[in-house]
Order: sequence, then C-alpha cells, then structure tokens
Amino acid sequence: MEKVTAIVIGGGATGVGILRDLAMRGVDAMLIEQRDLAHGTSSRYHGLLHSGARYAVKDAEAGRECIEENTILRRIGRHCVEATEGFFVRTVEDPEDFEAKWVEGCKNCGISAVQISVEEALRLEPNLSPKIKAVYRVPDAAIDGFRMVWQNVASARRYGAKVRTYTEVVRINSTNGQVTGVTVRDYFTGQEYQIACDFVISAVGSWAGELAAKAGLQVGVQPDKGTLIAFNHRIASRVINRLHQASDGDIFVPHGSITILGTTSMAADKADDTEPSVEEVKKLLNIGRVLFENIDDYRILRAFTGTRPLYSADPNAKGRGASRGFVTLDHAHDGLKGFISIVGGKFTTYRLMAEKAVDMVCEYLGNKTPCRTAEEDIVEDPSEALMGRAKKFFPVHGASLAASRLGAEGLSRVVDKLEKQPSSRQLVCECENVTLAEVEEAAADPTSFTLSDVRRKTRMGMGTCQGAFCTYRTVGTMVANDLTNGQDSKELLKDFIEARWKGIRHVLWGNAIRETELTRGIYEGTLNVNGAMKK
Amino acid sequence: MSKHVVNPDLCTACTVCVAHCPVAEVVREYRGPKLSGPASERLRLLSPQDDASLDFCSNCKNCDISCPSGVPISTLNMKARAKMWEGKPEPQGRKMMAHGEQMGKLLARFPGAASIVNLGMGLGKSLGMMDMVGISSKAPLPSYASTTFYKQFKSFKQKSFDKKVVFYPGCTINFNQPEIGMDVVKVLQANGYEVLVDEEFVCCGSPLVVGGYLGEANENARKNTSLMNKWRAKGYPVITACTSCGLMLKQEYQELFHHEGMDKNAENIYDIMEFLSMLDDEDKLNTNFGQVNDTMLYHAPCHLRAQGMGLPALDVLSLIPGYRIENAAAGCCGMSGSYGMQANKREISLKVGEKLFNRIRQAGVKSVVSDCGTCRLQIGDGAKVQAIHPVQIVARAYAAK
Repeated sequence: MEKVTAIVIGGGATGVGILRDLAMRGVDAMLIEQRDLAHGTSSRYHGLLHSGARYAVKDAEAGRECIEENTILRRIGRHCVEATEGFFVRTVEDPEDFEAKWVEGCKNCGISAVQISVEEALRLEPNLSPKIKAVYRVPDAAIDGFRMVWQNVASARRYGAKVRTYTEVVRINSTNGQVTGVTVRDYFTGQEYQIACDFVISAVGSWAGELAAKAGLQVGVQPDKGTLIAFNHRIASRVINRLHQASDGDIFVPHGSITILGTTSMAADKADDTEPSVEEVKKLLNIGRVLFENIDDYRILRAFTGTRPLYSADPNAKGRGASRGFVTLDHAHDGLKGFISIVGGKFTTYRLMAEKAVDMVCEYLGNKTPCRTAEEDIVEDPSEALMGRAKKFFPVHGASLAASRLGAEGLSRVVDKLEKQPSSRQLVCECENVTLAEVEEAAADPTSFTLSDVRRKTRMGMGTCQGAFCTYRTVGTMVANDLTNGQDSKELLKDFIEARWKGIRHVLWGNAIRETELTRGIYEGTLNVNGAMKK
Repeated sequence: MSKHVVNPDLCTACTVCVAHCPVAEVVREYRGPKLSGPASERLRLLSPQDDASLDFCSNCKNCDISCPSGVPISTLNMKARAKMWEGKPEPQGRKMMAHGEQMGKLLARFPGAASIVNLGMGLGKSLGMMDMVGISSKAPLPSYASTTFYKQFKSFKQKSFDKKVVFYPGCTINFNQPEIGMDVVKVLQANGYEVLVDEEFVCCGSPLVVGGYLGEANENARKNTSLMNKWRAKGYPVITACTSCGLMLKQEYQELFHHEGMDKNAENIYDIMEFLSMLDDEDKLNTNFGQVNDTMLYHAPCHLRAQGMGLPALDVLSLIPGYRIENAAAGCCGMSGSYGMQANKREISLKVGEKLFNRIRQAGVKSVVSDCGTCRLQIGDGAKVQAIHPVQIVARAYAAK
C-alpha cells in the first residue's frame, strides 16, 4: 500500500497552501482533490486580495490578518497577484457617519486609506458614477484563484509533494483512535483503494462538515452561497468597493481581462450548490448601478456561484454575521489523533491558515523546520532572455499573460516548443491569447483529464466567445496528441460547452444571447454534436 | 444608442472580419482585425503594450463593412495605434503623408513650385531618398497641380441659381486633381445648382488619423464641424468628391470625436455621385446626355462601400447613351490612402491589388472609373490603365450634347 506522512484533502487555496508548506518543511505529503484543482470555492469568488479595509470596522482582527497577508502575497505571489490598488467609494446611498468609523478602523488595523478628491477619482476611473461622494485609496489587489492554486502546486511539487485529482475520499481509516490512512475512489473508474498516512488534514472549506462525518465527527461549517457576475472587459482598473457596512454586490474586481461583480450571500443546503439564478444577477446589477451608472451597457459573460465556508462553534449561526476568521481544529480532542480540520477563513489569508495547520502537524512530528512560505516566491520570475524569446511568438499581450499563467519553468517548456514546432504557435484561444503549445502543456499534465481542466490552467474558453471557437480547436489538439484518456471526442465537446452554458443561461440577453446563438450554430449545426441532423 | 458608437463588447468573435480582411489574406504576420481590434481591446485595458500587428492595418474598413455586429474595428485599430505611437519618434515619411495639406498650401503660395516639387519627388524616388524616410520609391505619388481648385474656381463664371450647394473639395482635388473639382462644378451647374466653396474648410483629417495624429485630426474635425453646422443652418447640402473625405466627415468623426452637430451634418453631406443618383431617384437629374462611346470597368473604393450608399456611380453612368460600364467587384485595390505608398507596405499593397489588376487586364479596358483618388493612383500604376473619376464621364456626356 502507498504510504505518505500527511494527506491533505482539498485542492483549493488552503489545501495547496498546506501542501506547499508541508513540502517546504520536508514532510512527505500528498494532496487529494475530488475534482480538479480550484474546482470549488477558490475559483468561485471575486478574485480580491483584501487589504482588510472591508473588515476594518466590524472585525479588526480579520482586517489586520488581511493587510499582513496582502503585503506578503503581493511580494511572493507576483505571478498571480495584480497590485491594482482599490477604491472605497461612498455613494449617495451610503450613510455618511460610517466613513469616520471606517477611517479610524483602517488606522487601527494598519491599513493605508488615503482620501482623494472625487475629480481625481473620476479621472482615474472615468466609468464611475459622477454622483459619488467620497473616495479613498487602499492597497487592495486582484488575485487569480486558478493561477495561485496552480502555482502553489508547482512549488510543492518541486519540493517533492504529490497531487492526485479526481480522487474522492470514501472513508478516513483509524485504529485505536489514531488515523491510519484514507480509502479513496477514482472519479473516472469508480475503483476504490487505500493510501496509508499518519495525518489527514481537512482543507475542504464548505465540505468540512461532510468530510468530518466520514470520520464520524462533527464540524460546524455552514456553506453560504454567493453569486458573481463576470463582465467582458475591465470596467475599472482598480478594485472598487462601496464605503459602507459590508453588504451584497458591493465589490467590483478587475480580474485579468474581465471585471467581476459580487457577491450575494445566502445560506446553502449543500457545499456544491453552485447554481446561480437570474434573480441574483438582477439584484447584483441593481446594486452595481449605483457605482457604475452605465452597467447595463457592459456585456456580461456569465454568472457563477461559490459557497463560502462560514465556521461557527454554534452550528446554527448563518450568513454574514458568522465569523470570517479561521479555526484549526485538532480532532485529537474529539478522540481521533492525526485528523486536523482547518475551517472558515478567506482566500486572502490562505497562507497563514496553512502555516497554522502545518505548525500543528510539525509539533506532533517534532519537526523544527521553520515556515518559509512567506519568504520564498511561489514561482520564479521568468528571465528577461526567456521573455524575449517568448515575445517572438506570442501576440503582444500573450507573452506576459502566458508567463503569469505558467511561471518560469512552464513558460520555458512552452517557448522551447514554440521555437521547435511552428505549428504550435497557432492561437487556439484568441480571446485570451492562448497558443496551441500552452494548451498542449496543460493537457499533458497528469492532473488534466477534461477540457475544463485545461481551461482552468490556461483561461482558454473564458473570454468573449466563451468557448465558441477554442473548444473544437482544443478537442482537435487533444485527439491529435492522444490526450483524451480514451474519452469520446464528441462528449468532450459537449461537456465543455455544457460547462460554459451553465454560467451563460442566467444572463441570456443582449450580447450573450447573440454569442450563444453563434455557438449553437457551430456545435449543433455545423458539428451536429447533438445528432439532430440525420444523414 | 447612437449609430456610430465604438463598443468592442458587441463583437461575438465570429471571425467574419478576418475572412474579409485583404491585408490578412496576403500577410501571415498580420493576425487580422478581430485580434488586433476588439479582442486586443480587452487586453489593452489590462496592460497597454506595443503591438506590431497594429501597423499592418490599412484602415481600408473591410472589417467594419463585414462586421454583423456593427463594431468599427478599424477605428479601434487607429485609436490603439495612435496611442501606441504617442510620445515616440515620428518617422519623417509618416509625418509627411499625414500632413499633405501643409505641403499643398505651401506650394500653392509660390507659382511654379508645384512642378519643382513634382520633379523633386521624382528625383527623390530615383535616388532612393524617399525610401530613406519610409516612402516607397516604387509607389505612385500624387503630383501637385500648378493651379489649385480654389484658384481655378474663382476664375470660373457660374450661372446663378436659387438652389445652392457647398462643395468640399478635400486636399486631393484642391491640390492634386483640380480638374475633377471643376467637373463637379460643371455637372452641378448643368443640374441647376450654384456651387459655393468655403476656403475656411481644412483637411478632413483622414490622413492624420492613420498617421496617429488624433489630436490634430480632432482640431480639424472641430473646425469643419462648426463650418458645416453653419451651412446646414442655411439649408445648403455639402458635396464631396473624395470617398475618404466623405467617410471621415460622415462617419469616422462620430466614431472618434465629440463635436456638436456631427451626426446631423452627416445627413447633410453627399458624395457627388450619391447626390446625382438621388436627383435621378426624384426624377430631377438632367439626363440630357450626349453619346459617350466607351467601355470601362468600375472599381468601388472600400471607403465608398463603407458608407453603405450602394454604387451610385454605376447607377448614374448607366444612363449615358453608348457608354458601357461593368463593376469589377474585385475587392480592395490595396492602396488605402497612403498605406500603399509606405516603403514597407508597397509589396503588401500590390499583392492586395492583384485581383483587381488581373480583373482589369482580363477585361481589356483602357480606362477604369473609381471615385477615390488614391485608388486611381494604384490602378494606374498596378494595371497600367487610365483611371478617372465618374463625374468626369458625366461632365463629358453633358459636353457631348
């Protein structure tokens, strides 16, 4: 039987953070994820690296944690963080008396909040409503959930860690109150097998309650559903927050080529309840219109939903009132040694959460190696020479986009291929500037099984056309290079288009409906994927 | 939403523009209008970077014409290119070609200067000096007329009529081909119109836009728009005889700039052939044509097709007895303003024009009719035939009576 010291369950921000930290401290570790990396909440949020200003009034501790981690991540995570800065904007609808409290709160947390004139704010962000009343600059940033997860895994792998995706936990096995391993199931084959280990660290966010139940334990995590909208382009170059008590639909984040508006908040029955609704989209637009009056002129690409893991010792606490802080639970106290759950928290503090969880494991192991995840860059900078080589083949924006997606190592392999194989220079995804070489690199990775896995690693299919053109091109590539894992190519096409459709059907008006008709023409008409047209 | 609005969000990535781009068809290095236009527009908001691909766009507007979503793709390219060139050294050739009006005005002040410059340009070309500043020594360059249109117009005795129009000659007709402007005047006179000119008008700005001088173009737009407002208030239509001027004044102003009255002026500006065709539709055209026994081919300039007015020259010319004309329908000639005059674009330009040149050769005609000055230069050079403006045939038909 396979054996590792520690198994991390959950391929989201916290899980990969723990994996990297364990590996860097020399602990033999493996990460198990039920679907693909960043399949859950870590890719279903607004992509905001909080400055902490949002929590400055209500939760000073969270505010302080955020600004510390924000400062660290802007340094070590340059390839997944874009230091856009943020605005806190008081609109006509926001109570004036909150402003002073907020300024004071930021000061207490050590968050820089500098007021600028409304004129200056409108010069910097011309799409903002001219009716806004007051504006402050804060060190908010944008962070790409997919890339951050992916880059942490790349780093952990360099330190010897293993990653297994599409692997579901069936049971947590124990003998005499001590963890001995896990029984897992291969998602594709259904085959069950065991992996032995001394520690199981649950970093499954909203799924923490469900997982703990597999060890016969109870963890009070309430999944809280939040829906977001992705717009086709950048409405603003900075994160735009409302200067009021944190509420629904009050954050816009420039995220790569798009803008994300979020979020709603409502209790969910299950962690994988990720279906948005038209009502939620309309609600978000109504709220967003206060900051951006022309919001209805901007094209919506899709709506998507994630579930936040709100932790409460009282399992009945719900919604935004529940703590956004995190807790590391040593289940030795519940009678199961070697099982640790880390719950609550937020994306911005993932590294700190990982550090605390790994401290707990290392304490047991007597491992005195200090945590270095705050010091070492997640991925190396590509050299100037490498960037120079890359720029010869990528369209103008593509080289830097690819560098941020791939990191130095991945980019180096892709550029080698581009140099040797002219055919690999073709753009598979024009909207996001993804070359064939990069798609092949992502498809060949052992964690890639479906087209959506390639999408998450490359952003292919996530731009304007939402897969209309890149889907058939990529399936062609996968078939030509024998990367389909025996899956039917028609099913690959359908799966991918269906996954895109999931986010589009709740915003089916204006430009989105025109795009959908074009996609339908290509796949149902020309390619006849549904077999509607008989010979 | 107003008619000529720049909104890249409208693009569905359908790629029709790429299929219709004459430059992308002949140059693989050009990634095509979809990518350089709306697709990159999203990424330019993310990080402004130099895009060598933008330099390939000839602003011929075939992408805009083909776009089913109404995205002014070429204008997105021109704006992005101007931004990219901002604050960088200006190549001498680009500067010269963008500012043809200045040269024309300078020469107009000194008698005989035009012929010296024409000689100089010829000499410069043969010595390779033009190539040094980025202008092709192999390209046909417009030669300067010894007497400008405005000067010739002043000494022309017009019949006075109640119905009046204002003629906007543009730089090409005023400085290079005043005889076409004079034919415009004669043809309008034959239809009972008195022609006014307004020497306050400046260059439409089209060459400035492709040269990246958007600020100067905006100034020209401001000036021309306020003059056009004045003529519109008097109820006088404005006539152009250059399709690039017409497109700029009617459409590109609205895509690029914001001046009061531009949209209303657009409805008051007519290409000369459009105007004559409209008179014909209303049964008001003077069809008292003499016989013109000739067979010619017609080339529709891209900038005329971009205006969506049909092919009025064919409609009007087909009324002339004895005259036979056929539409070449062979796409872009490749010149696209000053694009084909650039040293590093001449070859591309000729490749684009090949279909048209072959069509002309196969037709075996001696003359080709086209409404655009630079199309005519390209056709003359590429197919070695005479190229004339349709209004010249109309003038000939009236004279033959």
